[in-house]
Amino acid sequence: MGLRRRERNGGDLAETIALAWSSLLANRMRSALTMLGVIIGIAAVISMVTIGRGAQLQTENQLKSLGSNLVFVQSGVAASGGPASRGAGSATTLIWEDAQAIAASIPAVADVAPNLSQRTQVVLGDRNTNTTVVGSTPAYVTVRDFLPLSGRFFNQVELNQAARVAVLGQTVVDSLGLTERSALDRTIRIRGETFTVIGTLEFKGSTGFRDQDDQVLIPLTTMAARIVGVNTTAGVSVESIAVSARSAQSMAAAEYQITNLLRLRHRIVPPREDDFLIRNQADLVNASNAVANVFTALLGGSAAISLLVGGIGIMNIMLVSVSERTREIGIRRAIGARCSDILRQFLIESTVLSLAGGLLGVLLGVVASLTINAIFGWSAGIAFDAVGWSLAFCLVIGVFFGAYPANKAAQLDPMTALRSD
Amino acid sequence: MLQLCRITKSYRMGEMAVEILHGIDLTILRGDYTAIVGSSGSGKSTLMNILGCLEPPSSGQYYFNARDITQLSDNERTDIRNVQIGFVFQQFNLLPRLTALQNVMLPMVYAGYGREERRQRAAAMLEQVGLADRMTNRPNQLSGGQQQRVAIARALVNQPELLLADEPTGALDSRTGEEVIELMSALHADGLTVVLVTHDASVAQNCGKIIRIQDGQISRSA
Ligand SMILES: Nc1ncnc2c1ncn2[C@@H]1O[C@H](COP(=O)(O)OP(=O)(O)OP(=O)(O)O)[C@@H](O)[C@H]1O
Ligand SMILES: [Mg+2]
Repeated sequence: MGLRRRERNGGDLAETIALAWSSLLANRMRSALTMLGVIIGIAAVISMVTIGRGAQLQTENQLKSLGSNLVFVQSGVAASGGPASRGAGSATTLIWEDAQAIAASIPAVADVAPNLSQRTQVVLGDRNTNTTVVGSTPAYVTVRDFLPLSGRFFNQVELNQAARVAVLGQTVVDSLGLTERSALDRTIRIRGETFTVIGTLEFKGSTGFRDQDDQVLIPLTTMAARIVGVNTTAGVSVESIAVSARSAQSMAAAEYQITNLLRLRHRIVPPREDDFLIRNQADLVNASNAVANVFTALLGGSAAISLLVGGIGIMNIMLVSVSERTREIGIRRAIGARCSDILRQFLIESTVLSLAGGLLGVLLGVVASLTINAIFGWSAGIAFDAVGWSLAFCLVIGVFFGAYPANKAAQLDPMTALRSD
Repeated sequence: MLQLCRITKSYRMGEMAVEILHGIDLTILRGDYTAIVGSSGSGKSTLMNILGCLEPPSSGQYYFNARDITQLSDNERTDIRNVQIGFVFQQFNLLPRLTALQNVMLPMVYAGYGREERRQRAAAMLEQVGLADRMTNRPNQLSGGQQQRVAIARALVNQPELLLADEPTGALDSRTGEEVIELMSALHADGLTVVLVTHDASVAQNCGKIIRIQDGQISRSA
């Protein structure tokens, strides 16, 4: 024979793919409906992972923006059987003096900013807004890394005098219909008291569980004397104390020393439980990450299940296809297609089906992700690894769920297949 | 070229096995033009399917070019169907979604020919059976006679040594049937070994050799 024969291979891959594509096109509606399962599954996986990541990244950024090398000391509930609680109607166990002691006697600590806050109404002329009024000290600026955008922060003198001055967050500035310039020297009313605006705070960004720009800073003394009004015999109660350590390395030492100091001051001897809680940024980030990871896994997992259902849909339609095309299989076998050629043809067909669905799903998922990111103002981007994984998963689904129908086709006896119709 | 020794074939019908062919002995030489005749249900198609390696016999030996087919693997028998034997069916058995050209190229795909070679050779085959202007038609855009000629082109495209045709004119009217038979005669004249099943006595008379099957046995061969 004069013809040159290559190694037999049942046609090259590109050709087999083209063949698979044309037989899928022959049943457009059916193929599309089958793909829908995979499309929805993949799109769900990608957008769910994007949502999870976006929320996580957002929280993480927010926690980082709190300041650097931060340790938070939070008030706990006074342990029963302990010394008499410090303030009537107050569950707080920390006082300003605790903060002053931490600053004065712990070398690992750079500075402290106590915090006493209350949600209340702030009024400017005929405008008002509900916001959080925070009483703190001038150290707030350095500890929380929160600089004034215009004007200035209140100083030690104003703190000592319990001056009625206020520094506004940008959300409050907006809510009152002001700008960072026009806000200066205005007189606002908080709980009937008049305050002079001496500055506005830089923009820190929002979302997650708290808007950091939705607050008004006033001196702690003023807060305790005029707004909250829980000056106790022990001194000014505070809800929390933000402590900045001298360096990242000294954070552990700071935490340890703060714990000891506060136990001493609060006369707590183990095994009695501490009436305060110390957490650092890493703890907060880890805690929020742990929650976010579970969240992402749950979302991604339920999306993966829908992908699995899509795969079963593919298997179903491939079984239908094999039984419809029994005669075609018989003809191909009769003119020289080996079992492996038939197997390959149907495997590639199911893989093309699931991959095509996967690609459309990726497209949909990316569009959904971009939309989600735009709506929430997230910068998390698209979960490209999820795109990669879900396409790989599609490939596996195509092969796995195609294997049984394809094998069924390949094992058909040529003559039996030819006789069928 | 091929030799059958005491070939039997039985089908299982539920519990019972029904024997259709009862010990067929048959020899076909290279270059023969053989007609198989016999009444309906006598087992002609069954014999042809065994000759074409589409079905294994239940017992006996089948030597094709001195190889015992019954001892070969499925892949080896598939390759014989692909390259050494061309089979023409009564019902044409073309793939409805492929064009005439694609149908003819199909055996070459499985034989592993390159794309260009396939196209050229399949086109040449279609020209040879007189369908040069119908290459891109699908089977349902072709007449019965044209479809059968496409099927013949497909059977011949890998240049087989043996052409088997099971009632190739069975689904055609007498005129187009004659054309198909003429085509087969011409192929034989070019040196191809041909075995064909027919009901038409005049067609059988033109063949060099006639084998008559009756109730699964060869009653007379000439
Ligand atoms: N797959 C099968 N299972 C059971 N019996 C079968 C099968 N195939 C054929 N037969 C039986 O074998 C016998 C011979 O069939 P075959 O098709 O070989 O006849 P034939 O000579 O080709 O007839 P015709 O001229 O009508 O085509 C018939 O009685 C048929 O019923
Ligand atoms: Mg028959």
